[in-house]
Parts: sequence; C-alpha cells; structure tokens
Amino acid sequence: MSTADPLGGGRSGRSGRSARPIPVGPKSALMLTLVSLAGLAMFAWPLFRPAQPATVQHAGDAPFIFIVILPLLILLVMVQLTERGMDAKALAMLGVLSAVIAALRPLGAGLNGVETVFFLMILAGRVFGPGFGFVLGCSSIFASALLTAGVGPWMPFQMLASAWVGLGAGLLPERMFGRPVRGWREMAWLIAYGIVAAYLFGLVMNLWFWPYVSGFGQAGLDYVPGGALLDNLRRFLVFTLVSSTAVWDTGRAITDTVLIAVLGPGVLVILRRAVRRANFDPVVEFTPVTDE
Amino acid sequence: MSMSTATVPTGPVASVRTRPWSHSLPRALHPGAWWLWALGCAVAASRTTNPLILALLVAAVSVVVAWRRTEAPWAMAFRLYLGLAGFIVLVRVGFRILFGADGTTILIGLPRIQLPEPFAITLFGPVSAEALLSGLYGGCQLGAMVICVGAANALANPKRLLAAVPGALYEFGAVLVVALSVFPQLAESVQRVARARRLRSGQGRRHFLRQVMMPVLADSLDRSLDLAAAMDSRGYGRRGEVAAGARHLTSVLLLLAAGGMCVGAYAALDTSGATPGWLGAVALGTSAVVAGTAFRLAGWRARRTRYRPDRWRAAEAVAVVCGLVPAVVLSWLSSADPTLAYPSVSPLVWPGLTVPGLIGLLVAVLPAWATPPPPDSAGSKPSPPPADSTSPKAVPAPTDPTISQATPPSADPTSSEAASPPAGPADSRATPPCRPRPDPAATDPAPPAPEAEEA
Repeated sequence: MSTADPLGGGRSGRSGRSARPIPVGPKSALMLTLVSLAGLAMFAWPLFRPAQPATVQHAGDAPFIFIVILPLLILLVMVQLTERGMDAKALAMLGVLSAVIAALRPLGAGLNGVETVFFLMILAGRVFGPGFGFVLGCSSIFASALLTAGVGPWMPFQMLASAWVGLGAGLLPERMFGRPVRGWREMAWLIAYGIVAAYLFGLVMNLWFWPYVSGFGQAGLDYVPGGALLDNLRRFLVFTLVSSTAVWDTGRAITDTVLIAVLGPGVLVILRRAVRRANFDPVVEFTPVTDE
Repeated sequence: MSMSTATVPTGPVASVRTRPWSHSLPRALHPGAWWLWALGCAVAASRTTNPLILALLVAAVSVVVAWRRTEAPWAMAFRLYLGLAGFIVLVRVGFRILFGADGTTILIGLPRIQLPEPFAITLFGPVSAEALLSGLYGGCQLGAMVICVGAANALANPKRLLAAVPGALYEFGAVLVVALSVFPQLAESVQRVARARRLRSGQGRRHFLRQVMMPVLADSLDRSLDLAAAMDSRGYGRRGEVAAGARHLTSVLLLLAAGGMCVGAYAALDTSGATPGWLGAVALGTSAVVAGTAFRLAGWRARRTRYRPDRWRAAEAVAVVCGLVPAVVLSWLSSADPTLAYPSVSPLVWPGLTVPGLIGLLVAVLPAWATPPPPDSAGSKPSPPPADSTSPKAVPAPTDPTISQATPPSADPTSSEAASPPAGPADSRATPPCRPRPDPAATDPAPPAPEAEEA
C-alpha cells in the first residue's frame, strides 16, 4: 500500500485541514459530481424535456422512472463513500445526529415553513466535512421518514436535496486570507449559506412537484410539456413565487437564520468538542519490522 | 379447530385477525415481500386515473393492512397516509377552483380576479365539472400511490428491512439502525435535562431552547462516542484485506452503473426518436447488472454472519405475485383499453370497469388470507405459547429485540442484527456474541444457526 493513498484515503489531516470522518477522495468526488448532475437533471426534467408526440403511451412515465432510479443512484454514492468502511465513531455520530434531526423535524411541522432541521445539518456539515454532510443529509431524512414523516415518492428527492445542503456546508471555506474562518465571520458565512440553501431547497423541491400539480389551465402557471426552456422556466418561477416563496421558503430562511444565530455558536462548540474527543486523525498501522 | 382457536390467548384483537381458515402459524413476512407487493400495487395505480379502479385498489390494500399489520408504531401510521392521500386530492381539486380551469359544464360561477402584471394570472373564475373531475382523477391517482406506499410502511418492519441490506451498504444500514434505536432515548434525555433544569428553578420559558437542546445534543454526542467505543471493542471495523485492484474495479463499476442509469433514463424519456427505443431498456438493464456486481465486490471487504435471517418462503412469493398481477393487468389495460384506464372528462363520461380489470384488482387483496398472520406485536405483552403447539416456531419469538429492550446502545450495541459487529474473514462462522435476552424466551429453542452471508 503506497503512502500516497494512506488507510482512510485522506483521513490523516492534510495541509492543516482538520480531519474528516468520511473522506472524499477523487473517485468519490467524481461519483458525487456525476450523481449530483444526474439528480439535478431529475429535478429539472420538466424544463428540458422535448415535445411529446401525442401517440406516445408512456408520456407520463418520467417522474415514475426517476422515483425508481434516483434511490439507486443515491445508494451507489453511499457505497462509494463508505467503500473503505466507515469509522465506528463516524458511524455512531451519523446515527445519533440523524436521530436528533429526525426528532427536530416534527417540531416545525405544524407551522408554515418553519424548518427546524437544516440548521443542524448545516452546522454538522461545516464541522464534519462535505462527505459527512452528504451522508447525514441522506440518512437523517431517511431515518425521519421511517420514524415520523413517512416514506413516499418524494423521499429520494428530499434526501438528495438535503444531502446537497450538508455537502455545500462542508465546502464553505475553512480559511480566508490566510486565517481560519472563525467567530463572527463563520457565523456570517453560515447564516448566508443557510438563507441561500433555504431558498434553493424550496426551488428544487418545487421543481420536482410542479408537473404533478400542474394543469391549472392557466398559461401563466402551467407546465407545458415540450415548451421552450425559458418559457417554462419563467412559468415555473411565477409558480414558485406565488405558491411557496412568500411563505414556505421565507419561513425556512428565517428559521435557519434565527436558529444558526442563536444556537450556532454553542452547537459548533459541542460538535467541535466531539470531533476532538473522537479524534478521527490517528490511524494505527501495524507494519512488520523490516531490516532497513 | 375450535380447540386451537380457544387456546390462542392473544386477546380480542389478535383473535379477530387470526382467521380460522388460516392454517399457517403466525410469523412476520419478509419485509421485502411486503414492499414488492405494495410497489406492484403502486405501479398499478400509476397506470390509470379511473376512480373506480383506484377506489377498488385502495380498498384491497386497506383490507390487507387491516388484517396483516401489527401493533407496532409504524403500523399505526397508516391512517396518516390515508389522511395525506385525502389532502392531496383536496389540494388538487382546490387548485382547480383557485386557478379556474376551463370547462363547459359550469357548476358555480365565481368572479375572476386578475392579478397585476408580473404574475399575469387570474384567480378563481367559473368552476366547471370538467376541471373538478380532472383534478379529482389526478389526485386519486397520486393518493392511491401514496396509500400503497403507506401500506408497505405499515406492514414491513423497517428494522428487519435494514437488517437485510447487502454487505456493500452495511455502514449506511447500520447508521439508520443506530438512528432508530437512539431516537426513543432522546425523549428520555430531554426529560432528564428538563428535570434538572426545574431543580435549578429555571422555570421560565426564556432560554428554554438553549438550556434544553444544548445539553441534549452534547449528551447524545457523548453517547455516540460510548457507542463507538463499544462497537470497536466488539470488533466492529475489522475489515478484510481487499486488493487495491478490486477497489479500483469497484469504483469504476459504480461509476459505470451510475452513468448507465443516466443514459437509460434519458433514453427512456426521449420519445422524439433521436435515440432508439431499445436503448433505454438495455442501458437500464446493463447498469443494474453492473451495479449488482459492484455491490458484490464492495461487500467483499468484510464477510458478515447474519443472526436469524428472514427466510423467503412460499407465502413471500405469493405476496409478490399478488402485487405483480395488478401491475401487469393495469399496464396491459392502459395500452389495450385507454378509454377505460384514462376515462375522459371532456366530454363527461361515467368511468367503466371490465371483468379482467376487476379480477386483476381482486388479486391484490389475496395476501390478507394467503400470508401467515403476524406474530404478537411488540407493544403487547409476550403471550405464553399455545398449549397444542409442537412446532418450535409456534413460540412467539421476539422478532425485534430492540423494541422491548430499553438499554442504551452503549450497553449493547448489538441489539439489532444489522448493528452486530461484523465478523472478520477469519471467524465468519463464529456464533453471534452472547447477549441477555430480555423476554421470557427461555423456552425459545435454540435459534437457527447463523449462516454465513453469501459474500
């Protein structure tokens, strides 16, 4: 085994970055990119789909094919990310954080747009890194679906969108202008990211939902199969603006902001303390004594 | 027969569900079988908008759920799915009223409201029967699919399903099992922290979130470290040596499978004729095979034994066939008789039903009788074995130790099958670690010998 690919593929902290419980190597990055692009296409298919001949039988099948394929793609990413086997500490932390998020999710269910899970996903992604954030987004939505929210055709899409939220939080800059991003700068980054993530999450979930509720008979709102990309995009943005931006997405953004601002510093301290205690860094390797 | 029904002391609820003509002994059906059955029904629902067919399908699914579910919490959630389906129908019909779709048969004349320029839409307007019906039909289709998925949720034990994940997904399954097992402890943790807070006379609601959530989060993270230590000490994380070449091959195969699925999905959707029609099916099939190979390869890094695996027997096959038949029949109907599968709303036509469709739908209800009744559920007390039982299977085996067992995971991380420490290649035939059984299963005969999972 060469030293360029140490056990854990980058688990030993490189170039000052803190250790990552779920490392993302080049192959995993390639896989994540491919599946993210494919997932984006599965969200955005209404915009790109060519016009359908009227005689085609399976014209309405697109969402159903994606409902089958997207979970498979997510599973493929999971296999690739955990290909070297997951550290027991990372596994236990993923499980516990998923349970906490699953417990937080119903708290906001009764109120319009109050989304109580993103802030913890964002903070955990920030502390534990992009790979962990991605897996946490998937596992927490899956666990909460099994526990409270229910499994349905929307779940794979929620999983992928939440995984992106966690992944993006892990990709926020660790250092800027030669100094680590901490303190109020970090909070500003996280809050800004939380707001952006809230609106983008609403946007892609709406995009997925749009063709299902479409058919109002209104030129201004309807999804037109095979319509021009920009026309459909404009109609979709109007639909989003009317149906969810004002209440749901803004509510989610406000919740994110408030929760990150109020609880963020404390949660970051707790999570970083857990990272320090878990000590993902050292990898014990036993090598036979050689006569060098 | 009367004697055997009299000696089953399972209380009124269970005795209602135990049909006298059901000769099979109570056992939990393989969760995968329930999922396949329900997905077949969901596929059937996706191929029609005929409200009569959908209503029959929902009725069939509901009957199976009513007779074959347990008392477990996930089984109780079925009514939530029914409510959600109703909500979907209401939303779709409501949107038709709100956005005033076109139609000739006007039922109610509402005034139109023109929104200002950037929106360029009108709200309300005359409500037509055609618009309402098209909303109703579409809503019924989505709602029926949601109910089918809900039936799978109600019938299949998620923990048993997670225990059956392939070796390549072992870590992800273990994460979910940890999450499901830790979840109930969070409530206890919250109560403990809140009690401590009251003792410090921190009564007010000020800082409630911060003073309760922070300690709970810190507590659960500490607990996760304890759990990790317990898992490490029991040999979790031991991995077999996998050659670097095999790992590269796995990654390449995974990438190929993902790419193939994308190509397949694109080809299946592209009906403009630019891609040949067979390409979609071929690409999807090939990538499924490639993905399966990659899963196998990735599963090689550790061979694991499985404690008391769910077996696939005749009843499972029957359930799957009962789900496949409606899917096939309705797929055939939707192409052979589109006016039946997709009844016209303009002009208004009363939806019909034909004998083949009816038979195909009635097959979906068969699992209510053709599958064994579920064992006594987790919530109720363990009942003594029937007096006339000679078979060891009649003892109500605790199907799910994690439910009756309230120990923290740090004390027993192996409380669920999927979280049991993986056995390394050297000791893959070793017996599972001993653990205290919490219930009066002392009469339980020796469990079937653990089988080495096929690597």
